[in-house]
Amino acid sequence: MVAAAWICLLLPLAGALLITLLGNVLSRKAAGVLATSSVAGAFVAAAVAFVTMLGDGEQHRSHLSTGFTWLSAGSFQADFSILLDPLSLVMMLVITGVGSLIVLYSIGYMHGDNEERRFFGYMALFVFSMLLLVQGGNLLLLLVGWGLVGLSSYLLIGFWHEKPSAVAAAKKAFIINAIGDATFAIAIIVIIQQTHIVGFDALSALNPDNHGVLNLVALGLLGGAVAKSAQLPLHTWLPDAMEGPTPVSALIHAATMVTAGVYLIARCHTVFESAHQVQNIAAGIGALTIVVAGAIALVQTDIKRVIAYSTMSQIGYMFVGVGLGAYASSMFHLMTHAFFKALLFMGAGIVIHALSGEQDIRQMGGLRKLMPRTYVMMLIASLALIGFPLTSGFFSKDAILAGALASGPYGAALWVIGMIGALLTGVYTSRMFLTVFHGAPGDLVLRQLGPDAHGQGATTDGHGHGEGPRTMLIPVAILTVLALGGGFIQVFDWWTGMQTWLESVVPSLHEPTGWQEAISSIGAPLLGLVGVTFGWAVYGSRKDTAPKPSRSLEHKLYFDELYDRIAYAPAAFIARFVTRLIEGPLVIGSGDLVGHVTRGAGEKARLLQNGLVRSYALLIALSFAVMGIVFLAVR
Amino acid sequence: MSLLAVTAVGNVLVWAVWVLAVATCIGTGLLVVTRTNPFHSALALIGNLGSLAVLYLLLSSEFVAAAQVLVYAGAVMVMFLFVIAYLGGKADAPWIGGRTWHQAASAVAGLAILVNVLVAIGMAAGGSLKHEAQLDQVFGSPSEIGRLFLTDHLLAFEVTSIVLLIAAVGGVVLGSHARRSEAEDAAALAAGEQV
Amino acid sequence: MAGPGIPAYLGVAVFLFVTGAFGVLLRRSPLIVLLSLEIMLNGANLALIAFSRHWGNGDGQIFAISVMAVAAAEVVVGLGLIVAMARKKLNLDVDELSSLKG
Repeated sequence: MVAAAWICLLLPLAGALLITLLGNVLSRKAAGVLATSSVAGAFVAAAVAFVTMLGDGEQHRSHLSTGFTWLSAGSFQADFSILLDPLSLVMMLVITGVGSLIVLYSIGYMHGDNEERRFFGYMALFVFSMLLLVQGGNLLLLLVGWGLVGLSSYLLIGFWHEKPSAVAAAKKAFIINAIGDATFAIAIIVIIQQTHIVGFDALSALNPDNHGVLNLVALGLLGGAVAKSAQLPLHTWLPDAMEGPTPVSALIHAATMVTAGVYLIARCHTVFESAHQVQNIAAGIGALTIVVAGAIALVQTDIKRVIAYSTMSQIGYMFVGVGLGAYASSMFHLMTHAFFKALLFMGAGIVIHALSGEQDIRQMGGLRKLMPRTYVMMLIASLALIGFPLTSGFFSKDAILAGALASGPYGAALWVIGMIGALLTGVYTSRMFLTVFHGAPGDLVLRQLGPDAHGQGATTDGHGHGEGPRTMLIPVAILTVLALGGGFIQVFDWWTGMQTWLESVVPSLHEPTGWQEAISSIGAPLLGLVGVTFGWAVYGSRKDTAPKPSRSLEHKLYFDELYDRIAYAPAAFIARFVTRLIEGPLVIGSGDLVGHVTRGAGEKARLLQNGLVRSYALLIALSFAVMGIVFLAVR
Repeated sequence: MSLLAVTAVGNVLVWAVWVLAVATCIGTGLLVVTRTNPFHSALALIGNLGSLAVLYLLLSSEFVAAAQVLVYAGAVMVMFLFVIAYLGGKADAPWIGGRTWHQAASAVAGLAILVNVLVAIGMAAGGSLKHEAQLDQVFGSPSEIGRLFLTDHLLAFEVTSIVLLIAAVGGVVLGSHARRSEAEDAAALAAGEQV
Repeated sequence: MAGPGIPAYLGVAVFLFVTGAFGVLLRRSPLIVLLSLEIMLNGANLALIAFSRHWGNGDGQIFAISVMAVAAAEVVVGLGLIVAMARKKLNLDVDELSSLKG
């Protein structure tokens, strides 16, 4: 079982290395196949580990396997080790399962791109990094994986490096994530300083009475989680990250990496439970993000950005869950969200692919007839997102809401916000869905997909293949099934698969009662449907779908502008100041000065080199004489 | 009494030899530097080396004296004479001074060194240079030099051999290079004449 | 030791050395310069032998013999240069070899 986990971790790395090292030897197709098979192989290994673990007793499911001693300084030691327990196994299954489907999908999606091999190398590297993050056997390895996913996210967002907006988005994502990485690192340093160990057992070794330290550690961890999971106020990078290729958005910015924050809080739940206020803050941040992101999603016109804001909103639910102690429900929602959100992105990808890269939903419309299969699967994904009864999102979201309701008055307040979020989800989802698939087809759509469009859009740049090749449709079909039925892992409290599975690692704090389950399970879908009805009324029939948004929503609540003012503008001011007063006269000036002095000295010293051997001899004799005099004088 | 007389006579003899050797040494040295015909200079240098060998003998360094005569006055100077003979009239070196300041500076430097060292010797003469060590039987003998070279100073011995080897290679390279450029010059000259 | 003391030998040595130095500094014929160099080396050798005698230690003689070997090597290279100069049809003048002028 442990061997399977190691294979699972190392296969994608091997894939990435092979693709990188083989370079041109590998055909583009082969690079895609190699990446897919390495990730799929990792999934098989994870599945083997899962099945084996099922046979273990409940209390013997945590395995720490040390590969080698990585760092050793005095009594301090950090191993390169992996931790295999139910929590990491859930993440491994989601990452490799959804990951292999998305990598398979991208073989079709990226077909014809100039640098496919690089793309697949990065994808495999990302899967390895993510697996290292969830499997890392100590905090340091967790941080390494944390940084590596940031790196591969940066590389993949900026994959189309000839596009300035993509490069800017990549930098933005990296910088904002670096803030989180820094606070995370500070937390780990504090932990090491307090306990002198880096294993996860250090978390419970912290002195429970030292609230200052506990709060500091929890805040640091929370900072990392907030940045990585694009929660308020460090969320601004995620919408921009949509500049990357759509499979990247599906894999990294929907299914796996952005949920790392949820995993982190669940993994470090002992600290957060000791630092109760910080855990409440996490839940509050989540709730705030649900509403804010949902509201912004209402007015976005880029299909991928709508889904990106929806992702933020859904991760907000997970934060509410882990913030209130409903860990299993959050992990459950993480899983179902990975299914349906990846599906939404892949569907959006098919649409974008068919429309030769158009992402503006106002240009779309009427795709129902032209892309029937995509329509069906987007419908299912949207229903799951809204939380339509019996779809996967229904069970998981309601589990979180029920958990919130069960955890006291603060939870109840957040429950109300979550309900509002459900309403917003209904509205923006139906807006996006109806605008894209219903109504009359736009000009662009007719040009690309209309009856007389054959042979035109299809030949130009490899895009515009109708609904895409089989490599795109198969993973989409599999994910559709999962989005539809994935929720049956846990059905209310009648069949608590996820809860039981995670009980030994992260026991949930509250047990919702029957009526709490009922009111959430009825209320949330109901509000979602109200939202859908509203959306239908507004967007269903109208062709001109340009929404009439409030200005502040369109500006995404001015977050970017705010950061520009408080971070960029002062930095730029200081930089200009330093340039004028220090860089110019001192740094550049001193360079010139050194150059001039050396040059002048050289001009003068050149005269000594007159090529006459005798004058060199004279210099030697003179210096010899002077030295003799000096030696005599000091004697 | 007789022993004392013998010693005194010996002492006078040593002094006489010393004065003769030093006079030859300084005189021939000056000749080397001042002659315009390098052949004369070289011959004067042979005399110089010979008188130095005598001084080495007075300093009980028999082996070095022998080496001086064999290697220096014999081999090296023969090489000099060959080259001078090869160059013939071209080798004449009339006394043409350089620039005046150069000559003046050279004089100053040379005299300064002379005065410097003489002062230093004078300061030490009454002190650490006053009494020589008693010599043992083997001092300066070939066996002693051989023992020192093959034990304490083996590295210097080997390095010296490498220096000599490099010099030999350098001599060959210089010679062949000069010959080749000579041939090239001749070829270029011939080509020029054809045009 | 019979005869004059070590300081007298040293005086002769420094006189030889300075004589050679004058030759090196003032003469322009490379042949004379080389010969003057030999005089300088011999001056140094005499000093070495004199000190060797003074301390009763053979190391100075070893040093002197090494100097002789180095002088022989130097003569080989120096004479090679002079012959090369002559073949290049240059005047035998050290100031002609000034192509390293900066």
